[in-house]
Amino acid sequence: MSLLWLRVAVLLYGIAALAVLPAALYNRPRWRHVAVPAALAGAFFHFVSIVEMLYAAHRALPVDTHETLSMLALLLAAAFLLLTAKYRTVAFGIFLLPVVVLLTIVPAFRPGHETLAYPAIRTGWLLLHVALLLAAYAALFLSLIASLLYLIQERRLKQKLASPRRSWLPPLETTDQIALKALLFGLPCMTAGLLIGSVVALQTIGPTFFADPKVLLSLAMWVAYMLMIFIRQHSGLRGRRAVYLSSFVFLVVLAVWSANALSVVHRFKAP
Amino acid sequence: MSQINQSGTLLLLGVNHTTAPIDVRERLAIPISRLADATRTLAHQPGVREALILSTCNRVELLTVQDAPAIATSPPLGMMSFLHDYLNLPAADIQPHVYEFREREAIRHLFRVASSLDSMVVGEPQILGQVKQSWNVAREVGAISSMGALSSVLDPLLQRAFSVAKKVRTETQIGSSSVSIASVAAELARKIFGSLAGKTVLIVGAGKMSDLAAKHLIQQGATTLLVSNRTEARAEKIADSLRTPAITTGVIPFEQLHEQSHRADIVITSTGAGQVFMPDHARALLHRRRNRPVFFIDIAVPRDVAPEINKLEGCFVYDMDDLQQVAAQNQAVRSREAEAAEVIVSKEVARYSDRLSQAPAIAAFKQLQLSAEAVRQQELARTAHRLAAQPLTPEQQAAIEALTKSLTAKLLHSQLEALRETSPDPGDAISDSDGK
Repeated sequence: MSLLWLRVAVLLYGIAALAVLPAALYNRPRWRHVAVPAALAGAFFHFVSIVEMLYAAHRALPVDTHETLSMLALLLAAAFLLLTAKYRTVAFGIFLLPVVVLLTIVPAFRPGHETLAYPAIRTGWLLLHVALLLAAYAALFLSLIASLLYLIQERRLKQKLASPRRSWLPPLETTDQIALKALLFGLPCMTAGLLIGSVVALQTIGPTFFADPKVLLSLAMWVAYMLMIFIRQHSGLRGRRAVYLSSFVFLVVLAVWSANALSVVHRFKAP
Repeated sequence: MSQINQSGTLLLLGVNHTTAPIDVRERLAIPISRLADATRTLAHQPGVREALILSTCNRVELLTVQDAPAIATSPPLGMMSFLHDYLNLPAADIQPHVYEFREREAIRHLFRVASSLDSMVVGEPQILGQVKQSWNVAREVGAISSMGALSSVLDPLLQRAFSVAKKVRTETQIGSSSVSIASVAAELARKIFGSLAGKTVLIVGAGKMSDLAAKHLIQQGATTLLVSNRTEARAEKIADSLRTPAITTGVIPFEQLHEQSHRADIVITSTGAGQVFMPDHARALLHRRRNRPVFFIDIAVPRDVAPEINKLEGCFVYDMDDLQQVAAQNQAVRSREAEAAEVIVSKEVARYSDRLSQAPAIAAFKQLQLSAEAVRQQELARTAHRLAAQPLTPEQQAAIEALTKSLTAKLLHSQLEALRETSPDPGDAISDSDGK
C-alpha cells in the first residue's frame, strides 16, 4: 500500500513540477493554484507512504539509498511549500520540484525490500541522526538554489533586462535572506545530527568508527559548512562568489554521500 | 437589449482625453465634493430613470437609463442641457467633443473604461476605484435603483463591469508593470530590495524628477530620506517639503557625501555636474555597507554616476536612458496585454447582452410556472377539503403530489418550447419546471 501512496505522490509532484513553470515564468495565477495544491497533496501522500513503509518493515530507519533519497525529497517538497507560504513565490519550485520528482521516481517504481542488518541498532536516535542530516542537506541545497536565483536576478538587473514578463525571480534581498536562513537552519541540524551519530557509533562500534572515510568526510563537511556561514555572515558575501562557495560545500556533501560505498559504519541493510 | 428597452434605454455621453483638449475637460470636470449634487440633478432631468457621473482628470461621462422619447435626438437634449445648465458651458463649446454610446456599445464602453482599456495610461489601476466611487455616490443619492429592484439596470451593469475589470486584471498582465520613469525606478528598487519598508533614500542634487522618484519610493515604504546638495539651504528645503510624521529626513553636507552615502540603500542623483560617484567611491561605499546592494538612479544629464559602477557586484546603476528603455518595454507589454483584455471584454459584452436578451423570456416563464403552481396548490387544497372525512394516507398524498406535478410539467412543456423558440439563446436559461 505504501508503494501506491508513493506513486500517487510522484504523480502529484510531476503535475506540480509542470504547473509551476507557467505559474512562475509567466506569472499565471491559475497554474499556481494547480502547482501548490498538487505539491501539498504530493507531500501528504509521500509522508503517509514513508510512515506506512517504516511501520510495515518494523523499523524506524531508512536503510538503503532509495529510502533515504525519498526522505530527502519529502524535506525538499516541504521546503518548497514553506517558501511559497512565507515569501509568496513559487520560483523555487522550478528547481526544487523536478529534483523531488527525480528523487522519488526510482523508489516508487523500483522499490527495494531491505531489512536491517543489525536489529540491535533499531533506535530512534539513529532516525533522528539521519533526519537531521537530511534536513541539513536539504537546507544546503535550498541555499544553493537561492544563491543561483540571486545570481540570475543580479545579472538581469545589471544587463537592464528587468522586463515585467520575466519578473518571476524573487527580489535580491529575499533570495539572499532565504540563502542565509537556510544555512543558519542547516548548521544546528548538521551539528546535532553528527553528534548523535557519533555517540551512537561510539556506543555500538567503539572509537574505531572515527577512522571510517565517511565519518572523516562528514567532519570536513561540517568544517566547510561552518566556514561558509562565517564568511557569508562576516563579509556579506553575495552573488557569484556565494554561488561558488555553496557549490563547493555542496560538492563536499555529495562526496560524503558517495562515501557510503566505502563506509563500514553506514551499512544498515542486510546483505 | 429588450430588457433595457423595457426599462429604458442605456445611454452614455462623455468626453475624454482623446476627444477633448484639457481646457474643455477642465471646464467639464466635476469635483468629488459636487459629485452627489450633480448626480442628483442629472437623475432629475426629464426622462432620466437612473444616472451616474464619472468625472476624472481624463474624462467626464454621464451614464443614464432614459425613456425612449427623451433620447430621440442625438445627443439627447436633456443631457446636453444638464451640461449646459449645471456647468454653465455653451452647448456649442461641448458638442464637437462629445461621444455618445447606446445600449450594447454603452455596455462595451463601460466595461472598457472600468478595465482601464480606455485610459490615457492603459492598465492604470485608479480608474476602477473612481468608477466604484461614482457608483457609491449614485446609490447614496438614489440615482441608481438597488440590485433587488426589478427595474434596476445600472446596478447589475456596474457590478458586472467591476467583475469584468477584475477578470482583466487577473487574466492578463495589463497592470503588472510601470510605465512612468518614477514608478519604473520604484519597481526596480523592489526587484532589488523586495519590500522598501525601512529603506533609506538619498537625493543628491535638486530637481523635480528626483523629488517625484523619492515620493514614489516613500509611497512604496521607504522611511528615511536624506538630501545632499551643494547649497545646503536648498537641501534643507527639500527635506522639509518631503518630511511627514512617518518619514525621517536629514541633510548630508555635500562635502561629506562620499563618507555618508553608505547610509542609503537607494541613491537618486540629479546634480548634472557629472561624475559625482566614481568607481572608487562606490567600492568604499560597498565596503562600508558590507556588500549590501545599493541602487543608483541617475537622472542627471550629464550623468552623475560613472557607468562602470554597474559592473561592481552589489551596485546597480540605471540612468535616464535605462529607465526610459524599461518604461518602453513595459508599455509594449501593456499594449500586447491590452489586446488580450479586449477579447475578454468583447466576450463579456456578448454574454451580458445575451443575458439581457433572455431576461424577458425567463421572466415570462417564471411567471407561467408561478401561476401553474398556484393553480396546482389550489386544486390540492380543494381536494383535501373534499376528502376531509376520509383523510388520505401519507403514501396517497405523495402519489397525488407527484401526479399533479407531472401533469403541470407536461402541460407547461409545449408553452415552454414556444418560449424557447422565441428566446435567442435559451440554452441553460430556461429549463423545465422539474429541473430537467
